[in-house]
Amino acid sequence: MTDRQPSGEELARLQALMAVPLSRRRLLQRAAGLGALAVIAPAAAACGTAASPSPASSPSPTAAPQPSASAGASTPAAPTAQPTPQPKPEAELFVYNYADYIGDTTIADFEAKYGVKVTYDFFDTYDTMTAKIADGHSGYDVTFVTSVDVPGFFKNGLVQPLDLALIPNRANLAAEWANPGYDPDNAHSMPYMWWTTGVAYDSARVSGEPTSWKTLWDPAYKGHLAMLDDYRETFAAALIQLGFSANTVSDTELDAALALLQQQKPLLRTYTADDIGALASGDVWVCHAWAADARQAMAERPTIKYYLPEEGAIRGSDTMVLLAGAQHPIAAQLFIDFMLDASVSAANTNKTGYMGPNEAARTFIDPSILSDPTLNPGEAAIAKLQELLDLGPDLAKYHDRWSKLRAGA
Amino acid sequence: MMRGRLREGALLFPGISWLFVFFAAPLAIIFVVSLGQRDAYGGAVLDKGLSFANYLRALEPSFLPTVANSLKYATATTLLAIGISYPIAYWISRHGGRRKGLLLILVMLPFWTSWVIRTYAWMIILRDNGVLNGVLQATGITHDPLILLNTDFAVVLGMTYGFLPFSILPLYVSIDRVDVSVVAAARDLYSSPGQAFRHVTLPLTMPGVIAASLLTFIPAIGDFVTPDILGGAQTTTIAKVIQSLFLSARDWPFGAALGFLLILATVIGTVSTLRILRAEVIG
Repeated sequence: MTDRQPSGEELARLQALMAVPLSRRRLLQRAAGLGALAVIAPAAAACGTAASPSPASSPSPTAAPQPSASAGASTPAAPTAQPTPQPKPEAELFVYNYADYIGDTTIADFEAKYGVKVTYDFFDTYDTMTAKIADGHSGYDVTFVTSVDVPGFFKNGLVQPLDLALIPNRANLAAEWANPGYDPDNAHSMPYMWWTTGVAYDSARVSGEPTSWKTLWDPAYKGHLAMLDDYRETFAAALIQLGFSANTVSDTELDAALALLQQQKPLLRTYTADDIGALASGDVWVCHAWAADARQAMAERPTIKYYLPEEGAIRGSDTMVLLAGAQHPIAAQLFIDFMLDASVSAANTNKTGYMGPNEAARTFIDPSILSDPTLNPGEAAIAKLQELLDLGPDLAKYHDRWSKLRAGA
Repeated sequence: MMRGRLREGALLFPGISWLFVFFAAPLAIIFVVSLGQRDAYGGAVLDKGLSFANYLRALEPSFLPTVANSLKYATATTLLAIGISYPIAYWISRHGGRRKGLLLILVMLPFWTSWVIRTYAWMIILRDNGVLNGVLQATGITHDPLILLNTDFAVVLGMTYGFLPFSILPLYVSIDRVDVSVVAAARDLYSSPGQAFRHVTLPLTMPGVIAASLLTFIPAIGDFVTPDILGGAQTTTIAKVIQSLFLSARDWPFGAALGFLLILATVIGTVSTLRILRAEVIG
């Protein structure tokens, strides 16, 4: 067949580039992006950078500052001293993240500040990332892990402890994030963003103000409904509706959830990894979605709205981790520190709509995000949300039913 | 004699090692993995005893709909591709004249762009507010947007489009090889143009049709990208299930078992098809 079976992150990147209908500005941006891909790909392949996970990816092809001995505004030169308190970063850094999950200039700003060339790749689903980093030789230095998975990832040797001396900006963290239950003293992870999962809909297409998960089962919208291509989230939507815990390992409860999802499947247009594109294109009217993704879709299609279903919903947070096989640990930890900088963190929030754990950043965050109850729900609303926990070997119960759901008629 | 055999061995060596490195060895790895047990973070546990349990799971009826989907898409794609390619290949061969080379380059030109990008272009054409629905509504043929994207139609369209060059090229080669004077002889013996085509040209180009069918059907049955991008909730193929078993469910042994069965079925199907057709067509 053809010589090219596209990889997961290639798909994700393209999804990011092309999934949303094109306004003129975006079209130009994307055309430039694709052009850059086409130009960089062969060149990068020819260079054959060691351990490069994937050749064409730097989103900012113009910024590739050559690190020189004295470059890097903030790195102390310290030519004679043997062990320096802040060592010099490596010349390169490989970061692996979701698409649309960072500020527009964050990577370029980091490159300019430290003289590190960053290769920034996207994964389409969390599982793709997990599968890729599982053998410890993915070539990536930093990735983004859901907080509840941090203990398991560390126990299985996928991530390594952080050198907190390299991350002074952790002082910016709000109190509840400074010593979180999943990772005492932030020893292996730094919180990045937190989120809720609920339902987004196009108010131009959907009558009334829906408040329930049941809207995603409404035959009136057949062919215009979509669930997330994420087995934990999708099963949670069914389990919560049935009044069960989103972390159940009971076979009967999971079978009931599977039956509910099988009943929904004929109504669905797709299981999507790109809720933003699905909503913004107008193909999907009611979509299982992450709150801030709904906000990004809103930028393209202003009639999009989002709600946390009355039955309950899901919340969670993502962390930045240093991968076990990281070849560029110093640059990686300086990057994590950079992401915790108040203005950088605020820029990321202002772009993505996701709230961060950064107390110091609040003064720089767009007031419309701070005051939006869907993006920044209050304590009372948060109390009603469940967090998806690491289920260990019992996760296979979800996997098997998910395969059955997707494979079935 | 000795030297002859040595030389024979030396000449065979590249071919045999190619076959070993790129076919037999990967297949053996897949087979071994398929006998193991799943590991929590991907990979396979092989030291806790090997078994055929994954093959039993693969035979569960819950996977039949995806196998049926895959066969449906691959068959429809193959029939459409041959139906569209034959006239194109025929025309290039008979009427291409001096521009034959140019026309063949045009057939291959789409390969200059990544297949994924071309498939994404179809997404923009097919979506509810896409190009095709826009044209249909502007011309008054339809009133409301048709759901085209995420359907069987979109998957078959995308696959047919993608695999068309693979069927045009072998057909061209075999049509171009048919001696025009044989067709002229048939016409001299009072057969109509249709009869000459049916009784002379078509049988003589049958090897090309078979080659084109295989080159379309086999990649189509293993394709997971087109169903992923252009398909939807109802268009899961067996290849897509295998892909998600590896990347999403992290159940490598089961994915390997399904993959091994798919390869086995493809090989058996191909070999027996070739046998039957060869016996019938070539005699």
